[in-house]
Amino acid sequence: MFARSAITTRTAVPALNAVGQTRNMATLKEIQNRLKSVTNISKITASMKMIASTKTTRAQRAMNVARQYGQVSNDFVKQSEVKKAENAKEILITASSDKGLCGGIHSSLSRYSRRYLNEHPDTPLVVIGDKGKVQLQRVYPQNIAYSFNQIGSTIPTFDESSGISSVILSDKAIEFDNAKLVYNQFVSAIAFETSEIENFPISQIVEAPNFKAYEVQEEVLENLNEFLFANTMHWALVEGHAAEMAAKRTAMENATKNAGDMIQRLTLQYNRGRQTVITNELIEIITGASAL
Amino acid sequence: MALPHEIVLKNKEVNQVDLSAVSGDLGILADHVPTIEQLKPGVIDIMADSGAEKYFVSGGFAIMNPNSVLNINAIEAFKLEDIDAQAVASNLAESQRLASNAKDEITKEAAAIEVELYEALQSALSAKSK
Repeated sequence: MFARSAITTRTAVPALNAVGQTRNMATLKEIQNRLKSVTNISKITASMKMIASTKTTRAQRAMNVARQYGQVSNDFVKQSEVKKAENAKEILITASSDKGLCGGIHSSLSRYSRRYLNEHPDTPLVVIGDKGKVQLQRVYPQNIAYSFNQIGSTIPTFDESSGISSVILSDKAIEFDNAKLVYNQFVSAIAFETSEIENFPISQIVEAPNFKAYEVQEEVLENLNEFLFANTMHWALVEGHAAEMAAKRTAMENATKNAGDMIQRLTLQYNRGRQTVITNELIEIITGASAL
Repeated sequence: MALPHEIVLKNKEVNQVDLSAVSGDLGILADHVPTIEQLKPGVIDIMADSGAEKYFVSGGFAIMNPNSVLNINAIEAFKLEDIDAQAVASNLAESQRLASNAKDEITKEAAAIEVELYEALQSALSAKSK
């Protein structure tokens, strides 16, 4: 009777163990695969973070220069104390870029632009950068007058900024007085703020109260208009680029940290699973040995 | 004096600045009447107590503000010493050739602008060596 019960228990327990073992084995393989893929991803995000950090330092330096360049250019506009004309026609220019993986950069820009376009649905829109275009195209496709791409993977040059501004200015189909440049202001390495630069046309600046003090020849006024527009565009593009690089760095840092956490969790799970399998095997052996 | 990629001078106290403007050459002293001038490719001579500095600028705008601050936005600016006379001469010949062979208006205009630039460069360099 004793032997019989021993036999029955012996056959029962190994069967259960076999199933438990195969289940654990499959889970172990799964966990191993997941571990491998998460480790790969974390390596990629870590290297992307490095790249973004170096790009950020360079972009920040360029931004400091471009900011001052734009502010110097707009100095006389500020000193003239220009006020926006009552029925000024406006154009909205959104400075985003082509690349993603940079946190909330593009969605913040498109939210700001959409808010503005909600209140002023007739405003022509110029989008710089495919990411911004895709988001704005969904809601305001009819407003988009121009879109530019291939901007933003490197620090924007004055060539590009002046090229964009001359295309916009030379298109007679788009009439505008004021230009609002929507861009991401670089607040710090971990923070940015979507804001706008207002670019006044020379026709309004000439009406400004303090502008009478300036002696200027008629012929240069139009050139000044274009120059001012190009300078402001350059400032917006370069600063936006710096904000994007910083956001990319932060996003990749978070991703790497999350991947690291996941790796830790998975490794613990894997080890526990492995130990369970070994323990079960030991129990089996011992039970079997003791029954003999 | 600001360029898109570099701030050449900032908050510098100077006595006089000579510019080459489209409307003519002019010298700007402190408390000069506020003016806005478009710059031709040419030399900007900055005279301060610490000495004189000459820069060749490719073009831009110089704006004299009522608060006696002179703002210069240029696209490119170089000290005359940094410019290679040989390169200037060969590039000038090249652009003159382009200007005469140009088929359409735009190429002709662009080449003419280049010619003007190199001629200004040459005269600036020769004036310096005189």
